[in-house]
Amino acid sequence: MASRGVASYRTEVWSDWCPGCGDFGILAAMQKAFAELNLDPATTVVVSGIGCSSKTPHFLNVNGVHTLHGRGIAFATGIKLANPNLTVVINGGDGDLLGIGVAHFVALGRRNLDVTVIIHNNQVYGLTKGQASPTLRKGEQVKSLPVPNLQDAVNPIALAIASGYTFVARAYSLWVDHLKEILKAAISHKGSAVIDVLQPCITYNDIYTAEFYKDRLYKLEDDPEWDPVVRDPGEEEEKKATALKKAEEWGTRIPVGVFYVNPLKDTYEDRLAKRNPAYSRENPPAFQSIYSEGSSLVGPEEFRKLFDRFIVKVSRR
Amino acid sequence: MASDLHLLVGGAQGSGLETTMQVLAPAYASLGYGVMANREYFSNIVGRHSYIHMRISSSGEPKALQYPVDFIGAMDAESVFTHYDDIREGGFLLYDMGTARTRLVQIASMEPDLRNRLLENFKKLGIQPPTVESVVSYLEKDVGVNVIGLSFTALFEVLIKKHGLTRAQAQRFRSSILIGAIAGLSGLDREALELGLEKRFGSRPKVLEINKDFVASVADEIEREYGTPLKLAEPKAPYSEYVVASGNDAVAMGKIVGGVRYQAYYPITPASDESVLLEAYEGLKIDGESLGSIAILQTEDEIAAISSVIGAALTGARSSTATSGPGFSLMVEALGWAGKNDVPIVVTYYQRGGPSTGLPTRGSQSDLLFTLFASHGEFPRMILSSGDHLEAFYDAIEAYNLAEKYQMPVIHLLDKFLANMVASMPIPDLEGVRIERGETIFEAPRGPFKRFPRDKPIAPRPVLGSGAITWYTGDEHDEYGHIDEDPVNRNIMYERRWKKMEIADKEIPEEFRAKYYGPEDAKVLLVGWGSVKIPALEAIEVLGEEGVRAAYLHVRMLSPLPKRLISDVLSRFDPENVIAVEANYLGQASKLITMETGFLFKKFVLKWTGRPIYLNELVEGVLDIVKNGRSRVVLSYGK
Ligand SMILES: Cc1ncc(C[n+]2csc(CCOP(=O)(O)OP(=O)(O)O)c2C)c(N)n1
Ligand SMILES: [Mg+2]
Repeated sequence: MASRGVASYRTEVWSDWCPGCGDFGILAAMQKAFAELNLDPATTVVVSGIGCSSKTPHFLNVNGVHTLHGRGIAFATGIKLANPNLTVVINGGDGDLLGIGVAHFVALGRRNLDVTVIIHNNQVYGLTKGQASPTLRKGEQVKSLPVPNLQDAVNPIALAIASGYTFVARAYSLWVDHLKEILKAAISHKGSAVIDVLQPCITYNDIYTAEFYKDRLYKLEDDPEWDPVVRDPGEEEEKKATALKKAEEWGTRIPVGVFYVNPLKDTYEDRLAKRNPAYSRENPPAFQSIYSEGSSLVGPEEFRKLFDRFIVKVSRR
Repeated sequence: MASDLHLLVGGAQGSGLETTMQVLAPAYASLGYGVMANREYFSNIVGRHSYIHMRISSSGEPKALQYPVDFIGAMDAESVFTHYDDIREGGFLLYDMGTARTRLVQIASMEPDLRNRLLENFKKLGIQPPTVESVVSYLEKDVGVNVIGLSFTALFEVLIKKHGLTRAQAQRFRSSILIGAIAGLSGLDREALELGLEKRFGSRPKVLEINKDFVASVADEIEREYGTPLKLAEPKAPYSEYVVASGNDAVAMGKIVGGVRYQAYYPITPASDESVLLEAYEGLKIDGESLGSIAILQTEDEIAAISSVIGAALTGARSSTATSGPGFSLMVEALGWAGKNDVPIVVTYYQRGGPSTGLPTRGSQSDLLFTLFASHGEFPRMILSSGDHLEAFYDAIEAYNLAEKYQMPVIHLLDKFLANMVASMPIPDLEGVRIERGETIFEAPRGPFKRFPRDKPIAPRPVLGSGAITWYTGDEHDEYGHIDEDPVNRNIMYERRWKKMEIADKEIPEEFRAKYYGPEDAKVLLVGWGSVKIPALEAIEVLGEEGVRAAYLHVRMLSPLPKRLISDVLSRFDPENVIAVEANYLGQASKLITMETGFLFKKFVLKWTGRPIYLNELVEGVLDIVKNGRSRVVLSYGK
C-alpha cells in the first residue's frame, strides 16, 4: 500500500480548542503516528467520549465515532469485537475515562481487548469550565475552583496496571514526537494499551502548566536500566511492582515513558477464538453473511438441527 | 373425559420444581397436547415458595392459564397452606404426610402478609389451629377435594434401598414423586413420560435411569390406587411436531435465525436466560460445521451493553441486547445516541414489576410509555410487542429487519410472563422468514462519505470497515456526521430523523401491526397488547358462550402505532363497550391510543400484582363491566 502523508489524516474541520490547548499536541502526534504506521483510514476507527478532548475524531480523516460522556471504551468494545480487523483508538478526557466512564476503563483492562486508549489528562473538566477532574490532587485549587478540591486523585498508571492493561505509558502533549513514538508502540501492541497524556489546560488549570512540567518531567527510557517489558510470565509480578512504584513518583520529578508492557497475555479476541473457533479475523461477525436470496442461513433443516433439544415429535399412541 | 387439565405444583425454591415442567411439558406435547406452564417465584435462590402452574389442552394449542386447578401437588407444607383455595371441588391434592402436623405459624419462609391473611381465613372457616392435617381435612370434607397423602420419607427409602442413594440424594427426587403422581392420575402414556424424562435428564444417564424407574413406580402405584380420574380427551393434534420452549428461548431462537452476530448483556431477571442460551450457541454449529459466530459479551453494566451494541451495529453486525426495567433505565442515554445516528440496534426488553427493584421476578406491562419516551430529546424508535411465543420468535427476527430497514433503534417489548412461560408452539414457518438489511453496505467507495444526506432520510449505510470514512456524533451533525449547530441544518436534520418514522408508518402493513380477533358483529371489544393476547383470545370465546359477543384487538406494534386500523375498529364499537386490558395501573396502551387517535377509553381491566392475568378473572372482570356497568376492574388473582 502506498504510504500516506501526515496531511492525509487531517480533515477540514476547524479545531475549536482554545489556542495553545494541549489537545493540539495530541492530535498532531496521532496524525504523525497514523502516517508512520501507514494506517488505512477505512479500517481505522477513532472513538471518543464527550469533552474538549473528545472532539478529536472530527479532526482526523479516519472513521470517527464521537459518543457519550464516559462511554467511548464501551462503544469501541462492540466495534472491535464485531470486527477485530479494525484498528481502534479511544480518546477521552480524564473526567470522561476516569470519572464517569471508569467502570469501562477497568473492564477493558480485564479483557485486554486489542485497542489503544489515550487519556487527555488536564486535571480538570475542560468543556464544563474547569471543575476538578479525578486526577486533580487533594487540596489543590485550580483557578476555576472557588474552593480547594477535597477528593484524592486517582493514579491513572496504577489503576491501569491493577486493571490488567498490558501496555501502560505516560506522555506529555507538548513533546509531540515522544508521544508519537509511544502511540505507535501502543497501537502496535497486541492488547489493551493506555497512554496517560499530561496536557496543560491553559484556560482553567493554573497549577499544571507548561511551566510546571518543564523542569519536572523526565523520560524513563533515559535510565539504561529501565526495562518495563515482561519477557517471561514469571516476571509479571515484579515488573508490575516496579511500575506501580514508579507510578507513585509525582513531585519534583515526574516520569514519562513506558511503565509496563506485557506482550504475553492473550487478547480478548484470542480468548474468544480459542473458546469458539468460528470466531476469527478472517471471518469477523460483522462481515459474515447471514442470508442468501433473502432467506436466513438458518432454514427449516438448520433450525431442526440447531434446536433439536427443543423439538418434540408428536406420535399418536 | 376433560378436554383440559389444570395443574399446580408447589414447593420451595431450589427443590427441583422446574423439573416437573421440563418433564411434563414435552411429555404431553409428544402426544399432541398443547402445553402452557408458568413459573412463579420470589427473588430468592433457595427456600421461598415457588410454584409451577400448567395447563394441558387437548385442543393441541397452548391455552391460557386459569383457576381453580384440577390438581395440586404440594412438595411441602407451605404449598398446602398457600394454595388451599386454588383447587376445585372434585380436584386432587397430593401432599406429604410427613408434614401433617406442621402448623401454619411454623412456616418461617412465608411472608407475614400472607400468613396473617391465611390465619384470618382459616379462623373464619373454623380450621383451628391451622395445620396441614386440619387444612387437608377441611378440603376433603367441606370442599370435596380428593386428598392423596403420601409418605415422601417412605418413598425416599425406596430410592436409598433400591438405588443406593444417600438420604440427601434421595431428597432431590421430590419432584419425581409429583411427576409420577400426575402421570398416574392422568394415565399419561409411559413412553411419553420417558421421553419427557429423557429431554430433561438425557445428559445424565444415571439420574435418568433412576428417574425412569422411580417415576414409573409412583405412577403405577397411584394409578392402581386411584385410577385415572384426570385422564384427558384425545388431543386434536393439529401439529406433527412442537417446539417446547420458554419466551426467552423463543426469542433467542428468533435472534439466531435473524442473524444475530453480536449480543451484549448484563445479568438481570427475567432477561438473562436469553443471552445465556445465545452463549451456548456462539459457534452456530451444525454437524460440526459452523454457520458463523455470535460474539456475546457479558459487560460491566447495561450502559456498556447498549453502547457496545451500538458500536457493533456500526460495523454491520446484527446487534442486540436483552434487559429488563432497571437495565433499560441505565441504557436510555445511549438509546438517544443510536436514534440520533440512524443506528440499527435491537433492545429486547422483558418487563418486570417496577418501579425500582419492584417485583424483580414477577411480570408487568408497565414500561410501555417509558420505552416510548425514554431518553431526552425527540427521536424516532420502534416498539414491537409480542403476544405469545410464536410471535416472540418472529418478532425477534423482524426487529432486526425493521432496525436495518428504517435505521433506528427497535425495542422488542416482552414481559416476564412470556419470558418464563413454557409453551408448546408449532415449528415456525421458516420459508416465510425474510432477512432484509435495507441500505446496509459492506463495500463502499473509499474516502469520506456523506452518511446523512439531507435529501435522503434513509440513506446508504456503509459500515465501519467498508472502505468509506464515516463520522458519527451525538451532537447535531451535518451530512458527514460532523458537529453542526447551524439552525437551518438543525431543522433539516431534525425533520430528516422523523421522516424515517413517516416512511415506516406508510410502509409497514397495519395488518401486521394490529389484529382483530373475533366475530365481525361483536358488541364488546377488548383492547390489549403483549401477553394479554393469551387469555384475551380465549376470554372472547368464553364470553361468547356466556352470551356476550366479544372481540379482541391485539396491538403488536406500538410505535409506529397502526392508528388507521385501530381507529377503524374502534369506530365500530360503542365506546362504553371498549375495554382496555393491561397489566399496569394507567392503561398505558390505551393512553397511547388516545394520544394517537383521540379515542377516549372509559373501561379498564387492569392488573399489577405481578402475576399473570388469568382467564377466569379476565372473564369475570369483563362481565362485571358489561353486566354491572363497572368502569375499572382491578384483578388480583394468584399467589
Ligand atoms: C452524562 C453527562 N454528564 C455530564 C455531561 C457534561 N460534560 C460535558 S464534558 C464534561 C467533562 C469533560 O471533562 P473531561 O472528560 O476531563 O474532558 P476535557 O473537556 O477536560 O477534555 C462534562 C461533565 C455530559 N455531557 N454528559
Ligand atoms: Mg479533562
